[in-house]
This record gives sequence, structure tokens and C-alpha cells, in this order.
Amino acid sequence: MIEYDQDEKKMVLKLVYYGPALSGKTTNLLRLHDLLDQDGRGGLMVLDTANERTIYFDLLPFFLEAPSGLKIKVKVFTVPGQVKHDGTRKAVLQRADGVAFIADSQVQENLNNTNSFENLERNLSFVGMDIEKIPLVIQYNKRDLNNIIAEPEIRGVWEPTGIPVLMASALEGWGIIETFRSLAEATYRSIDARYALKADHGLSLASFVSQLVRCDQNSGL
Amino acid sequence: MALHESIDFVVGGEKRLTDVLSEIEVMPLLKSAAQAGLELAAVVDDCDVPLWTFGPGSAVAGSYLHEGEAVESRPIYLAGEMVGKVYLAAGRSTTADVLNILAQVVGDAVNSMVQTNLKRMMVTEIHTQVVQLSYDELLETNRLLTESEQKYRELAQNLEIRVQERTAELKQLYTRMLQQEKMASVGQLAAGMAHEINNPLSYILSNLKSLEKYVGRFVELVNFYDEQTGVADHVKLRSAALEKRRSLKIDFILEDLEDLFTQTVSGAERVKKIVADLQGFSHIDTAGDIRLDVNLEIERTLSVLSSVIPADAEIVKNLGEIPELSCQGPLLSQAFLNIIRNALQARPQGLKLLIHTGLDSSGRIRIVFEDNGPGIPQDIQRRIFEPFFTTRDVGDGMGMGLTVAYEVVTSCGGAIDIQSKEGQGAAFIITLPIGGKT
Repeated sequence: MIEYDQDEKKMVLKLVYYGPALSGKTTNLLRLHDLLDQDGRGGLMVLDTANERTIYFDLLPFFLEAPSGLKIKVKVFTVPGQVKHDGTRKAVLQRADGVAFIADSQVQENLNNTNSFENLERNLSFVGMDIEKIPLVIQYNKRDLNNIIAEPEIRGVWEPTGIPVLMASALEGWGIIETFRSLAEATYRSIDARYALKADHGLSLASFVSQLVRCDQNSGL
Repeated sequence: MALHESIDFVVGGEKRLTDVLSEIEVMPLLKSAAQAGLELAAVVDDCDVPLWTFGPGSAVAGSYLHEGEAVESRPIYLAGEMVGKVYLAAGRSTTADVLNILAQVVGDAVNSMVQTNLKRMMVTEIHTQVVQLSYDELLETNRLLTESEQKYRELAQNLEIRVQERTAELKQLYTRMLQQEKMASVGQLAAGMAHEINNPLSYILSNLKSLEKYVGRFVELVNFYDEQTGVADHVKLRSAALEKRRSLKIDFILEDLEDLFTQTVSGAERVKKIVADLQGFSHIDTAGDIRLDVNLEIERTLSVLSSVIPADAEIVKNLGEIPELSCQGPLLSQAFLNIIRNALQARPQGLKLLIHTGLDSSGRIRIVFEDNGPGIPQDIQRRIFEPFFTTRDVGDGMGMGLTVAYEVVTSCGGAIDIQSKEGQGAAFIITLPIGGKT
């Protein structure tokens, strides 16, 4: 949940990249780190790994400021996807303000996607949150591979839920920024509803998103 | 361990420079730098407030904390945010190059320290958090296991009691079945007997009537002879006839004949009624629910019991007008039989039994059997319908009579109540819904 200090004019938001093992959560963050301008973001912090698999989490911080002087820090976390690290997932998920669910597009991974999504739902409820209320976007990653679930099929499943669904290839670097932007928009709407970012701090959706997603017009898209 | 302790603990929470850097780590570094001849080596926070300083200029550290010709600074970053600076002020013999290199070394070292410490702290945080979560989960699992163990233990302990309860239930059912079986056998026997008895009885009755007619004629003949011999001349014949008549006690016989026939015919007719009552009582010719007249059932039951009702018993019937009832015939008469028999046993001499039937205020049939027996003590009133509960001597009753009565009444959708005070008789009150069991 949001950390907000009115006196110090500071707000800390927490976004979490969730999903099954090896779906590309860390790669998403690596790509964001590469594609976004160095201004307004910190370095990617990768905690200890085992065989290059995340066992704790990765952290990529962003900094922006509202016209009112309110300083907003957005911390983007990944969780470990492996089933055995459920305790870590729960810990990282605590007080999240938004979630990007990174699914693996490969046909044979569909069951893992389902299990992981159910795990997300369960863990959110464990840490006192509701999947119906938390800002949530879904990314189907690895669109560059063969033998993937067809996009119409994916849209057929998810569109009725109203959750934004994005296609991406973290490896090729596309769809990554769109996913992050979509999550930023959803999060802004949720935070604005509670903390009047626009009314009290003069921070519009467009300004919030453009400060967060700063990139060279030519490079990312 | 309180659960809430773990909830406020957030992984990757906000930290200040002093959270990730300690004097023990920083001072040796500043000391080494100062020993290279610097005036001052210092680490400050993001508002330029000195946190740690070393060197001759420490006392007036504030005067050095700005970039100048003899001062170098390097920013300290914590997760991408500048949270402080390293300041180095040159000594008298420090060259600009040395100052620059020292600043670079100390700056890099502090940043590297911060980075490493932050990572270590976050790993520790997450580790602590996961351990706490696992511990809480273990506690919860343990609690559930303990609960389930407790449940099984209770189950095991209660098993014996349950077995006893079930055994008693089975015994009760079995006894009731036996009772019903017995009733059915009695009914069959009654029906068979009734059939067997009815045939000879009908010709006995019919023959008796013919015989009565025939004997009447003999009497007439005898009287005729009498008259004729009375007026006959033959004295000898007359006296012989009179003598014969005397020795044969014809006068007495003629007198007794009428009584004899009256008694015999009424006796035979009673036999006929008894057979009919027995047949009716047992309802052997009916199966399942029937419409029956409660008053008639009571009459029949009393009739069947007539042989065991002592002569001095006074039975007062006050049978009101009640509609027919839908229920199982033989069962209900058995309930009546058992209640009346209970009264007979309760007061073998001088019994006064009041039987009242009618409708209660809610339109149900109400049947009251009120006796002047010793009454039922308060403490056992609740128990008398229990199977095998009896106050009689061993061999006098098995304690099933009232149980069966209770079962029968409740199976017809009715209820049975007792009103009794010790020494003041007992009243059994049966209420039955007219429509039968619903």
C-alpha cells in the first residue's frame, strides 16, 4: 500500500511484476532500465540470484515530482516465479499499489500461467488486498516464439474481465514500455481517486505517465 | 509471537543514509584518507549536515562543506537517489590530483558500501519476512492439527458412549418389532380361532334354537299325558305315571328348562361377541393406514381385557363425539391396551379408571386415562417411557408397555403426556391429530 507523508511531501508507490517462473519478469525490468532515460530513475538493483534465477526480487526505482512539490518515488519490484518461493512472493506483494502479471505465451506454459494467476489472487487476499480492486495489467510475453497461444484466444479470455492485456517480447524489447505505461495509468487512476493528485497536487495523468515513462522518441517505440 | 509484528514490516521500505551506513564502516575510510594529509574527510547527509568527520578541520567542518579549490565532493546514491556526499578538504601539502583521486576512491568505496549494505539489508528483510510468514503458517498448521487431533480424541472417547446409545436404540427397535410381531401373531391366531369357532358356534346357536323349540313340544306332550292320565279310570296307571314323574323330577326339569336355554344361548352369544372383538381389536383383516373410531377401539380393548379386569374395578367411560382418525389400527389399540394394563397393575384392587375422549381447543383428539393408583413420582415421570424402565418386580413386566405406547402415539403424529402426583393417581393424556401423521 501507498506510503504517503504529507508533511515531507513524499509519496512512495510500489508496483510489482508477478507471474510464473521464467516468464520474463526480470527481463522486463532490464528492458525498462535500458529503454527509459536515465533521468528520473535509479539503477536496477538485482539481489542475489541462484543460476541467474531471481530468488528474492529485483528493484527499479523511479522518481517524479508534482507541480505542488510532492515527490513521488515509484519502486518497481519483481517477485521470484518459482513455486517454492511463495513466502518471498507474499512478502514482496505486501502493500503493492499495482501489479503487472507477466504471462508466458507458449502453449505448454498455459497451465503455469493459470496457477500463477490463482496464486496471485490468493496471495493478494492473504496480504489483505482484492484482485478486483488493485490496478492490474496483463502482459503476454515471448510473442517472438513459435507455438504460442493465438492473440484472439487470449483476448477472448481476458477482455471480458476488463483487465488491460498487452502483447510483448521482452527479448526483442517491444510491448515492455506499453505494459509499464498501462500499469502506470491504472495506478494513477487508483491513487488519484484516493489522494487527489490532480486536484491537490496539479499532477495530471499525462504528466504522471510521461514523467515515469521518459524515453527517446526514436529508441523505445 | 504476535502476528501483527510481521504485517507492518515492508520489504524494500524507505531508508536513510544512516540506516545503511555505520560509523564502524565509514570511520576507517575517512581516517585513512585524512592520514594522507587531508585537512578534513567527511560524510554528510542530503542537507549537508555532517554525519561523520575526521581530520584537523573536524571542529570547523561546516566551513569546508562547499566545493572550492581545495575541496572535492562526491555524491552518495541510495537506490538511485542522492542521499548525501563525501567531502574531502586538502591539507597544506595535498595536491589537486591527490585530492581528486582520494575523493574518487573514498566516494566509490562509500557508494559501494551503501549498495552492498542495502542489498544485504533487503535480503535480510525478505529473509526475516519469509521466516516470519513460514513461522506463522507453521503455527496455523499446528493449530489446525491440534484442533483435528482434539476432535479425533473426543471422537474416540465418545465412541463407547455412541455404541452404547446405538445398542440401546437397536434393542428398543428389536423389542418393538418383537412386540409387533407378537401382536400380529395374536391377530392371526385370533382370526384363525374366530373362523374355527364361528362355524361350530353358528350351528350350536341355530341347533339350540331348534332344540328349544323341540323341547317345547316334548313339554307339551308330557303335559298332555298328564292331563289324560288325570282323568283316566285306570287308577293303577295314574299312580304309576305320577310316580314316574316324581322320580324323574319332571316338575323341576320343566321349571329349569327355560333358564337353561336362556343361559346357554346368551353364553353362546357372548362367545360370538368375544370372537368378534378379538378380531376387531387385532385388525388382522386390515393393513396400512385406516380410518378408525377411537371410541370403538377403546371399547374393544376393554372387551379384550375383560378377563383380567377385576370385578371390583370401576371403569367410567366418558366417550365424546370425535371424528374418525387416520392411523394404523392395531398399533393404536395396543397403546390403549398397554396404558389400561398399566393402570390395572398400578392398582390391582379398587381401581377406578376414568376414560375420557373428546376434542381439545385446537381440534385434536384428546384421550385421557385417569386412574386412582399410587401415582408416578416426579423424578421418574420423565423416564417411564424409556425402554426397559420398570418399577415392577422382576418378571412382572419388562418395561416396554409404555415405551410401545409412546412410540405408537408419536408415530401417529401425536403426543403423550403425564399428569401425576405421588399418591394421587396418574393421568395419561394422548393427543392425536385428526389427519394422522403429517
